[in-house]
Amino acid sequence: MTNPIVTEDLEKVYPGGTRAVAGVSIEVHPGEIFGFLGPNGAGKSTTVGMLTTLLKPSGGRAFVDGLDLRTETDRIRRRIGLVFQESTADDQLTGRENLELAAAIYDVPPAEARTRMARLLEEMSLTQVQDRLVKTYSGGMRRRLELAAGVIHTPRVLFLDEPTLGLDPQGRAGIGQVVRKMRDDFGVTVFLTTHYLDEADLLCDRIAIIDHGQIKVLGTPAELKDKIGGDVLTVTPQQAGVDLEPILRAVPGVLSVQRHESAYRIKTPQGESITPTIVEACFAAHAPLASVSLKRPSLDEVFLEFTGRAYREEEGPSATDMALRMNQFRGRKR
Amino acid sequence: MTLRALRALTVRELKRWVRTPTAIIASVMTPFFYLLLFGQAFNIGKFLPSGNTPAVLAAFQGAPDYYSYFSAGMVIFVVLFSSLFIGANVIFDKRLGYVKKLTVAPVPRSVILGASVAAGVFRCLLFGGLVFGIALLFHQIPGLSGLTVTAPVTAISVVEIFLAMTFLAAAFTSLFITLGYVIEQIEAYFALVNLVNLPLLFSSTALAPATIMPSWLRYIANGNPITLSINVLRENLFPYAGYYTYAPEIYLGILALFAVVVVALCVRVTVGALSPR
Ligand SMILES: Nc1ncnc2c1ncn2[C@@H]1O[C@H](COP(=O)(O)OP(=O)(O)OP(=O)(O)O)[C@@H](O)[C@H]1O
Ligand SMILES: [Mg+2]
Repeated sequence: MTNPIVTEDLEKVYPGGTRAVAGVSIEVHPGEIFGFLGPNGAGKSTTVGMLTTLLKPSGGRAFVDGLDLRTETDRIRRRIGLVFQESTADDQLTGRENLELAAAIYDVPPAEARTRMARLLEEMSLTQVQDRLVKTYSGGMRRRLELAAGVIHTPRVLFLDEPTLGLDPQGRAGIGQVVRKMRDDFGVTVFLTTHYLDEADLLCDRIAIIDHGQIKVLGTPAELKDKIGGDVLTVTPQQAGVDLEPILRAVPGVLSVQRHESAYRIKTPQGESITPTIVEACFAAHAPLASVSLKRPSLDEVFLEFTGRAYREEEGPSATDMALRMNQFRGRKR
Repeated sequence: MTLRALRALTVRELKRWVRTPTAIIASVMTPFFYLLLFGQAFNIGKFLPSGNTPAVLAAFQGAPDYYSYFSAGMVIFVVLFSSLFIGANVIFDKRLGYVKKLTVAPVPRSVILGASVAAGVFRCLLFGGLVFGIALLFHQIPGLSGLTVTAPVTAISVVEIFLAMTFLAAAFTSLFITLGYVIEQIEAYFALVNLVNLPLLFSSTALAPATIMPSWLRYIANGNPITLSINVLRENLFPYAGYYTYAPEIYLGILALFAVVVVALCVRVTVGALSPR
């Protein structure tokens, strides 16, 4: 079985000289949900643009569903579905009319289109609002409608450019479920871009981190976390002068222990499940703990690890949005 | 496949249009004011000695009065005027991401242009027909000047008038839609459109007969596609032996050729504008 997306040194230089994508080589496997993770301006949308025939690569090669991007644009277009980063639903049409339009331009036979539309509207919880103009939709409803329109023709490869942009956590979870279900039901291969590490973690089978147009690291979420060294647990004993190190090292699942004055930094793959064990072990050794804090590997740390610098906030329209999200990240840490 | 996409895209254009009634009312009002105010006030035929029918006929290419002469010109001008706005929609569609969505869809580029042109021509014909109807109606209202038709109305003349409007609308809607694909700024678009629109109107015989123009302008006026379409109307509405160089069918042929050339050029430019870059 050919890999649905293969790129070899794919490159894009915009007129004006910005090298938005600087030699990307990836292989996406059949039926996989592949995540492209990176900050603003990393080159995510540009990569999606090239793979979906919207932009012309300046260098390198790419194959979508086995078809050469340079010569078989038309056949590729029939086999892919796409949800853009920005909203593209027609807000003067109803939700249903938007889907009908998509079905017509992708030439889905009318009878089949009707069944698929009914099913998709149901799955996206849009059945009740299908006859309302899209301009009355909420951001989440729009996004779900665009997702439905993107798969109305049962594409082989589905590209989602920040499908959860601007949604609340519930909306994001909803989109995640739907994407997973589509993959499970139709075996569609999904290529999605996102800013959120936790989202990529939950949803994607493999993740590539892109920065300045280059892939920094690629692997399953577990592999990436391992490379960072997992969660960091910091504990302090009630009485000073007790050496906790041997006790902590004896707990299964602890990778390393470092002492910083009175505190101990413990690296572990599963911080949450190991916390009670550690508390009990110390208690049993007559060295009760005064405090325990758990720090998750976040995008900041993944970034720091693989790019050698902190996750930056770029200028541009989504800078505020980004700042907001970074706060969400920070809020999740304890 | 192609036909279905063409129909769906055309219907989408028309739905969007119908769902913005203020825009429709605004575009209906403009020609209405021309007919009700400008045409009624500017009735220059009154300067001619009254009762001198041959002089009036000679002055207005066989039309029985200035208003009849002018309203035939207005029908065609409204067709041109309605085509202007279509290109602005493309600029909005680009901003809304709709064009991007179509670009990555397996639809022939000519269908994308074709659907906008079809919707545009429909609108132009509707407004052209409306102006025609209003002008005829004014003829029935005492105290108002109106369009007086002096020729017998035949099926052929109706078809010829309809085709003249269609060819002109097809050429100009494709032209303005293509402009919309090429230009990014709505302000730049309207500036350019006015640069095309007003000179075309003033260098045609829509408002004034070529006989009173200086000779250099007369040459331009006689070759102006607006004049050619108006000629088809006037020849069918007020036949006047000896004034027109050609029969209406010849003017129609020239117009058809003009439309084909313009549309073909526009398809090329649009395909370029919609290609991956
Ligand atoms: N049309 C364009 N012309 C010139 N430069 C562009 C164009 N589009 C994008 N760029 C530049 O290319 C780089 C990559 O942009 P891209 O949109 O691919 O980033 P992204 O990863 O999708 O970012 P975001 O998370 O903000 O959506 C940026 O530096 C951007 O300024
Ligand atoms: Mg982007």
